[in-house]
Amino acid sequence: MTRPDAALRLRRLLTIIPWIVDHQGSRLEDLAARFGLKVAELERDLELVPFCGLPPYTPDRLIDCEIVDGRVYLRFAEYFGRPLRLTPAEGFSLLAAGQALLAVPGADENGSLASALGKLAGVLGGGDGMAVELGAARYLEPLRAAATASERVEIDYYTFGRDELTTRVIDPRAVFAAAGEWYVDAYCHRAGDDRLFRVDRVRGVRPTGEHFDPAAAGGAAGGGVFHPRPSDRRVTLLLNADVGWVTESYPMESVEEMPDGRLKVVLVANERAWLERLLLRLGPSAEVIEPAEVRAEAEEAARRLLVRYG
Amino acid sequence: MADRLERLTNLVAVLLETRRPLTLEEIVDRVPGYPAERESYRRQFERDKSTLREIGVPITLEALYAFDQETGYRINKEDYELPSLDLTEDERVALHFAVTAVRLEGGAGESAGGAAGRDALLKLGGFEGRAAPTLAALPDVPALPALFDAYRRRAPVTFTYRGGIRRLDPYGILFRNGHWYAVGNDPDRQAIRAFRADRIESAIEAGPAGAFERPDGFDPASALRNEPWRFGDEAPVDALILVSPTQAGWVEADLGSKAVAERRDDGSVVFRMAVTNRDAFRSFVIGLLDHAEVLAPPELRADMVAWLTALAGDRTAEGSA
Repeated sequence: MTRPDAALRLRRLLTIIPWIVDHQGSRLEDLAARFGLKVAELERDLELVPFCGLPPYTPDRLIDCEIVDGRVYLRFAEYFGRPLRLTPAEGFSLLAAGQALLAVPGADENGSLASALGKLAGVLGGGDGMAVELGAARYLEPLRAAATASERVEIDYYTFGRDELTTRVIDPRAVFAAAGEWYVDAYCHRAGDDRLFRVDRVRGVRPTGEHFDPAAAGGAAGGGVFHPRPSDRRVTLLLNADVGWVTESYPMESVEEMPDGRLKVVLVANERAWLERLLLRLGPSAEVIEPAEVRAEAEEAARRLLVRYG
Repeated sequence: MADRLERLTNLVAVLLETRRPLTLEEIVDRVPGYPAERESYRRQFERDKSTLREIGVPITLEALYAFDQETGYRINKEDYELPSLDLTEDERVALHFAVTAVRLEGGAGESAGGAAGRDALLKLGGFEGRAAPTLAALPDVPALPALFDAYRRRAPVTFTYRGGIRRLDPYGILFRNGHWYAVGNDPDRQAIRAFRADRIESAIEAGPAGAFERPDGFDPASALRNEPWRFGDEAPVDALILVSPTQAGWVEADLGSKAVAERRDDGSVVFRMAVTNRDAFRSFVIGLLDHAEVLAPPELRADMVAWLTALAGDRTAEGSA
């Protein structure tokens, strides 16, 4: 076991002591749970406290720490009566998480979270200049409700990559936001496997009247949204510098800058329609290196779109 | 290790309680555990000082007395102490839920942002109530804490962005479409600008606090608008696009019902879009593949035909010959 370093333990002490000062007689187990520690870790930290205080370190100048019947009492620690201020990273993280949760459709704008964030903003300063948008999708709420109640549902789903609409029965385990989109993590009965569905591509949700066992199987919720496999098709492109943003907006396997300033990128593209959109958007700014058939596919897609223009 | 922890704890207590700054010698004299030899205790104190600053303890170096050359150290209680928030138990439960439901994630393993959220909760009184399952994952970007700090203190910032030095009076921080933005006034361009935080290539250099006023009612969400085809300096053109029935519902959700110009009997819909950026407009229409068609104006329709024809290869020419 590695020993936590002095900085970490000091930060912990300076956080726990003020709470005990305000809550004399708290139970050891409750304190440990509250501060995310094992009871033994907390005891070891508290053992040190009676050796701390002010010069000349006579008993009346040292912190008095007593543990009686598993309850903790602290005296002479007034100078540690308040916790340390939040660091910028701590303040930001807390506000960001809170604002994000408030941005979930259906959140209570007048509830405890909103009032807590109001108090926090009052102390941190800044006011209402921080905003988090998680986006809305038409079927977000029925899908969240179905996931919460473990209800099996039938959905109409638009598969963007193949440009096709299908109907399937799914067991929605969790609904979450990641990478700017809402996803449903579900078992798909049509595929016979776990699938992630983008909520904005769901075109209909209908109840089946059945329930599923939420404890059964799988669940990749919250993990990476996109996992390339070795068997996936790789496409190599040369991009002009003006479309370098592509490397930040699409998952890339590799990016290499060429002597002429162009970028040689390798991306995973299993889905025909997905790749068609990308290549048609980039137009002359992208050159397909390999595989060669992708060049023909892009030309074919351009011709298909042109049909509409007679 | 316990010795060092003891010394650090006593050091904080002594520097918090002192009425005037203490010289290094006074500190070593009052806090047990420093070596006797000057160079050694000086080095040791330097290490302790940076450890304390690392965890956010604000140690300052000040003149001992007015007009005095000699300097000493202290911790100003007001800078040290978290002001009372008077959070109710329900509010602490709600914050705990939020910090566990929303993950800030950077790269591999436990992210700095996730840990910072937990550390913040501990300072506010620990974990109250239950942890929540993950509901949202937001990217953690190194520049964010410094941008946030500058925003809340109203301090102008300087940073490198896409190879250039940029200045910004940060009026707000916005998360949209999966990205964090710093939004504010760009004094060089005298205009409201948004910068993607993950594209900032340098550390954030912040100027003095309180250096600018945030306009009343400034809303970062409206400063950064969603529709890229409106973001341009080309002469505005009203475009009409025809969208197939299967995609019309989605497009209407995206553009809003106000954009609907005509609903046809077969379920397809004509949408009106105000275009000031033709590249972004073309990208949007191409995203719909063969489910959409530019109807008007003639020059945008011709643009699209020319763009696609150039990509269609030689066989178009052969086919029409």
